[in-house]
Amino acid sequence: MRYQIEHETILEFPHSVREHHTELRLTPRNDLNQRVHGSRIETDPSGKLGHYIDHFGNRVDYFCVIPPHTRLVTRLIADVEPLRENPFDFSPLPPGECKEWFRKALKNEPSLHDYTLHRSGETPSIVKLTAEIDRALPRHTQETPLMDSLFTLMEWIPSVLVYQPGATEVHTELIHAIKAGAGVCQDFANLFITVVRSWGVPVRYVMGYQAPELSLLEKSSEVATHAWAEVLIPGGGWVGFDATHNLLANDRYIPVAVGRDSYDAAPQRGSFKGDEPGKKPVVHITISGKGAGLQAPDAEEQE
Amino acid sequence: MNNHNGSSGNKPRISFHEFYDDDFTPRAHYRPLWDHIRATGQNSLEVKAHESQLALQTEGVTFTVYGESDEGIERIWPFDLIPRIITAMEWEKIESGLKQRVKALNLFLNDLYTDQKIIKDGVIPPELIYQGKDFRREIMGITPPQGIYTHISGIDLIRAEDGEYLILEDNLRTPSGVSYMIENRVIERRIMPEFFDKYRVRRVDHYPALLLDALRSLSPRGKDNAEVVVLTPGVYNSAYFEHTFLAKEMGVELAEGRDMVTINDIVYLKTTTGLQRVDVIYRRIDDDFLDPLIFRSDSTLGIAGVINAWRAGNVALVNAPGSGIADDKAVYPYVPDIIRYYLGQQPILKNVPTYQMTNQQDREYVFDNMEGMVIKAVSESGGYGMLMGPASTPQLRREFVDKVLENPRNYIAQPVVYLSRHICYMDGELEARHLDLRPFVIYGEDIQVVPGGLTRVALRKGSLVVNSSQGGGSKDTWVLSE
Repeated sequence: MRYQIEHETILEFPHSVREHHTELRLTPRNDLNQRVHGSRIETDPSGKLGHYIDHFGNRVDYFCVIPPHTRLVTRLIADVEPLRENPFDFSPLPPGECKEWFRKALKNEPSLHDYTLHRSGETPSIVKLTAEIDRALPRHTQETPLMDSLFTLMEWIPSVLVYQPGATEVHTELIHAIKAGAGVCQDFANLFITVVRSWGVPVRYVMGYQAPELSLLEKSSEVATHAWAEVLIPGGGWVGFDATHNLLANDRYIPVAVGRDSYDAAPQRGSFKGDEPGKKPVVHITISGKGAGLQAPDAEEQE
Repeated sequence: MNNHNGSSGNKPRISFHEFYDDDFTPRAHYRPLWDHIRATGQNSLEVKAHESQLALQTEGVTFTVYGESDEGIERIWPFDLIPRIITAMEWEKIESGLKQRVKALNLFLNDLYTDQKIIKDGVIPPELIYQGKDFRREIMGITPPQGIYTHISGIDLIRAEDGEYLILEDNLRTPSGVSYMIENRVIERRIMPEFFDKYRVRRVDHYPALLLDALRSLSPRGKDNAEVVVLTPGVYNSAYFEHTFLAKEMGVELAEGRDMVTINDIVYLKTTTGLQRVDVIYRRIDDDFLDPLIFRSDSTLGIAGVINAWRAGNVALVNAPGSGIADDKAVYPYVPDIIRYYLGQQPILKNVPTYQMTNQQDREYVFDNMEGMVIKAVSESGGYGMLMGPASTPQLRREFVDKVLENPRNYIAQPVVYLSRHICYMDGELEARHLDLRPFVIYGEDIQVVPGGLTRVALRKGSLVVNSSQGGGSKDTWVLSE
């Protein structure tokens, strides 16, 4: 299934700002599990776009608007085709072989340590969580298949967090969501990540979109960004776990950016001279079931 | 361990005396100086000391000391008349040891931010790097010109009880003190010209010229077309004097972040005649504050977009972002291995023995012997975040135990080394004080160690803390040419 995505962000300032630099992590990931047939970024005011691939493998597009302005609009238009129809389509290594597999993977690719060692307010150390949660956290032993432990974890999460739109902000610390007993998709992903990291298994935060089911996909459906986690599975590579919906990420999931937590994978980051904005950014995201008329990104930029 | 300090009433260990031999006669290289002082008498020293104070005041050679709560006090740079003298033979070893170390540390940084072979080969534990506050993953994959990161290094040396020079710490971020090295020489020459008749002292005053040459050589538009800027956090920085000094001596602009702007990957200085392209930024602000788009978003000291301009190869940043991981004090114990790994050589200058707080055995040993230890926070410098065991109170030691247990990666410990002593002219008397040495290394087209350095003196009797930010003093440092 191919999707056309439009992701528009409008920033409005009560007083004009200038020397405005912006970095965007909006171009969907282009890898074995997803093909980007085309994508482009538009901005208003317009600026010369530069780009690079960051250390997590995300494509970053950036630009600056120097003269004073009171409004900045950025828009991504992309034509993507998620390919993972069946997320179970792999044979995980037997539990006995996993320890050695992880040892080798971490040795050959030291940057994976970012996904095991990172701790922050959003993905804190497990000690901080156990102090707040009065029930046992799911454990993982070397005798248990990793996938089984991960499913147990996903089923356990709703006993700690109830999904409640607006319960938390973008960068709310996990501990606050836990105390409130409610959160949104980031909090579900963060809790999942926090527990998996305590097992020493590489896990990363994913920012992206979840397309509506085919029967509900209108000509143009309005959606919000979604957050889930990807775990490095011996024999399976990076597999997406959506703790909010207790699902493995299939071809309705469109990953855009990954990182240690939501800061690394933030869709838009900016710096400007002038007063702080009075209003929150206004974001419109639409997904439709048909891609057309876009140029594919240069081959060498594809990860 | 059996470390004691003078104030507790125990007999102190004997530290090396730079000036006197074991039989209390001056060492051979100090004899001409000593004869001169004896001939002119101590009264003349009193007059000279007064003159040097006036000169420092007139020149405006100052240093700002920040306490826990106050706003900072600007002080006249404390200077001692009696020079420290290093023989040509001693210097030869120091010079080759520092060149070796700086070369290896730059190879290490280049490797860390590209292939990470040293981690893959199991020489450096990955946790050490990935849990390091100053590992900048944001610049992964960018190679600065010639793969050089630390164009300016200030490496602290001390002399152990047997007189051997040891590396105490590497300063690879924005090491300061070089302006005082030069000012000390200017004052010494003016006040004590007769001292210089008796020795062949190697010059240090060409440092700004060496630095400018190294900076220009990094210009993306070529050496002959290099616009160089010194980036300062501003007047409230304790090293602001040095920032103005170096800009003036090199004849380049001194600017703050707000004086510059990045437009489409090119950095410009805002001048009265319009925007002027900048090629090389000698930045005296930390990575954290360098670019609010990439690092700390609340920084108002940096230049938004400068990292992407650097990534594009349109501007040189000196020292390169990310250098701090190589002077992280928890990485320091690995530097001898780093030298062996990249150069296949034994380290010429040794480290001070260091205990790692992430290692349980080391940690317990240190907790049992805290009075003989120095405990240091790994990412701090200038003597901040440090416990000096011999001078510590039981309560302070308990606080440090808690701090270490809270975050073991953040601390290391070293047995107290009784720094070497030297005579100083203090209030009419010649008294011994402990000191260290910070030579400066410039890595431009090749590696050069400026023959001299900043000798820092612990002004308080018996104290082992020489940091200028902790009220240390200084001496002119002479390296003899023969």
